[in-house]
Amino acid sequence: MNDLVVAILRSGTPLVYVTLAGVVAQRAGIWHLGLEGVMIIGAASTIIGIVLTGSLGLALIAAVVLCVLASVLLWFTIEKLKANPIIAGLGLTGLGVGGTTLASQSIFGSQASITAPFGLPRLGEAFGPFASLSVLVAAMPFVVALLWVLLRRTRFGLQLAASGEHPFAARGAGVEPARMRLFALAFGGVLAAAGGAELAAGSLQIFAQNMTAGRGFMAFAAVVFGVSHPIGAAFAAMFFSLVGALGIRAQLVFGDAVPHDLLLALPYIATVFGVWLSGRLRGGAASSAFGELRDY
Amino acid sequence: MNSNFITILRAAVFVVLALALCGVIFEFAGYSAPAMFTSIAEGAFLRSGGLTQSLRWAIPLFITAVGVGLSFRCGFFNIGAQGQFYAGAIAATCAATWLDGAPALVLVPLSLVAGMAGGALWALWPGLLRLRSGTDETITTLMGNFLATLLLIYVTTGPLKDPSGSGQQSSSRPLAAAYRISNSLGLSPTIIAVAVVVGVLMWLLVNRSAFGVVASLAGRNPVMVRWQGAKVWWLGLSSFLLAGGLAGLAGTLEVFGPNGRLVGGFLPAHGFTATLIALVANLSVGGTAAAALFFGGLASAALYLPIMAGLPSAAIDIINAAIALFITARSARVDRVLGRLTGLASSRGKAP
Repeated sequence: MNDLVVAILRSGTPLVYVTLAGVVAQRAGIWHLGLEGVMIIGAASTIIGIVLTGSLGLALIAAVVLCVLASVLLWFTIEKLKANPIIAGLGLTGLGVGGTTLASQSIFGSQASITAPFGLPRLGEAFGPFASLSVLVAAMPFVVALLWVLLRRTRFGLQLAASGEHPFAARGAGVEPARMRLFALAFGGVLAAAGGAELAAGSLQIFAQNMTAGRGFMAFAAVVFGVSHPIGAAFAAMFFSLVGALGIRAQLVFGDAVPHDLLLALPYIATVFGVWLSGRLRGGAASSAFGELRDY
Repeated sequence: MNSNFITILRAAVFVVLALALCGVIFEFAGYSAPAMFTSIAEGAFLRSGGLTQSLRWAIPLFITAVGVGLSFRCGFFNIGAQGQFYAGAIAATCAATWLDGAPALVLVPLSLVAGMAGGALWALWPGLLRLRSGTDETITTLMGNFLATLLLIYVTTGPLKDPSGSGQQSSSRPLAAAYRISNSLGLSPTIIAVAVVVGVLMWLLVNRSAFGVVASLAGRNPVMVRWQGAKVWWLGLSSFLLAGGLAGLAGTLEVFGPNGRLVGGFLPAHGFTATLIALVANLSVGGTAAAALFFGGLASAALYLPIMAGLPSAAIDIINAAIALFITARSARVDRVLGRLTGLASSRGKAP
């Protein structure tokens, strides 16, 4: 049982951080499909940073800076060039996956995965069965709670939500939606960097090509399924990783009798259901929440 | 005429901007950008036989992209081409397995129809959700891609798995040689004929039929079209079905042509590239053919780079992604600059 909890926390924590990045973007009115790309940039720069500089602090700074830069690039194409957020987000994902592959191949000269000598600090013996988990796992509930306070109990959070739900009203109240979206995406970049760092350096301490393997899209699914509420989305992300962990267990016990791939489909089916439901509750056009952004 | 010219020029500007961003990324990653671009051009078009290989990759992309272009034209942002491509390939393989032993003249056309039906079916549910409940079709079709990818892995490791194959490989039984419509190089008169027929029919549909006119209007102003009495519901559904059917056809061609079997996770970037092609071509059928040749060239260069030039094929993914980042941009400032430049050029041309 303890093993299962540790496995779920280990696979779920990166997902939760990236999901929170998606929540912030979603509330500001951007369907963030670049999450996968930003997350893998965070994962790659943490490991490559540790190997090249030998310092965890420098590696994390590099990860945060690069993830924020990538997010600002997405903001620039969406807000300033009026690009379609979905296609631009998918483009950023492609840039992240391709760029980290290219960088790891050119720096280390091979396609093999890169191993770092050390990773994020671990919780240690005092935590009993959870000793092998990283500090970011322990910090996760506090980050979720802080984000809830920020989004639901501060003026900033209200302005952010207004920029997403009704940009014209926000502008009428003296809030500049474009600037709020810049804050949202940049802050999301920090959270996604944490998710990528936890994925790569939290337990395994390696970076492999395309190692995020769709987690960014699963995080996006969690955002939609958790109705872009920080606590709801975090629970959705943990639920998806629970299903994944149970699927692996079932496969170990029952072999091929359990169609594991079909269990993995659950987050995506849940997302379709979530979008359908929000369309029903809020009316078709409003569900897409692009507001003035949606223009093609 | 002038506005058309500006549209083409705008696409060109953003493609060049994307290539410049790629050049910066290549330099940062430690590769020489000029050498990279030269090798890509060699791999795509300049080496001997490069053009035929580019054509091989361009044909399935073109077939999928004209369908995507049609649904965008109607105002439906169907980005599920990848899922529809897989669904078509799965349906066609099921049909071929079921009819195994029938004469090729019966089996192949029926499988092609089954493939188109499979793709159309995978586009039907997002279409119905969109038209009946207003569910955002971008999200549902995108999720449909992941679902179809998992379904493909499931059928190639489960029900349709080749029993004689090794435990690791996920693929269906190879088709009998008589059922193949091309060799593994992927170009044959049949495949070229299918592409030409699809191109001509879609051009006629878009440019020479009432459906095409109403579709373009519906994409720009659905309210007006509804007031004029057109059945937007029916129009939208047929655009979803056509887009899905064509993507399914492209998937079927891959199975019956170069692959000769259904392989788990084949051509994972096909639908995304086809969507880019439709956008770069600004949704016109002729432009789609030209853009498909360009992206087909990039796809063939992706195979050439690591083997012949010793460069990573991820470079091609980066180029595609950078184009995606910019291609939907609609910057008023860029348009103004372009308008001024073209105005300047034409007045210069007219001057005595």
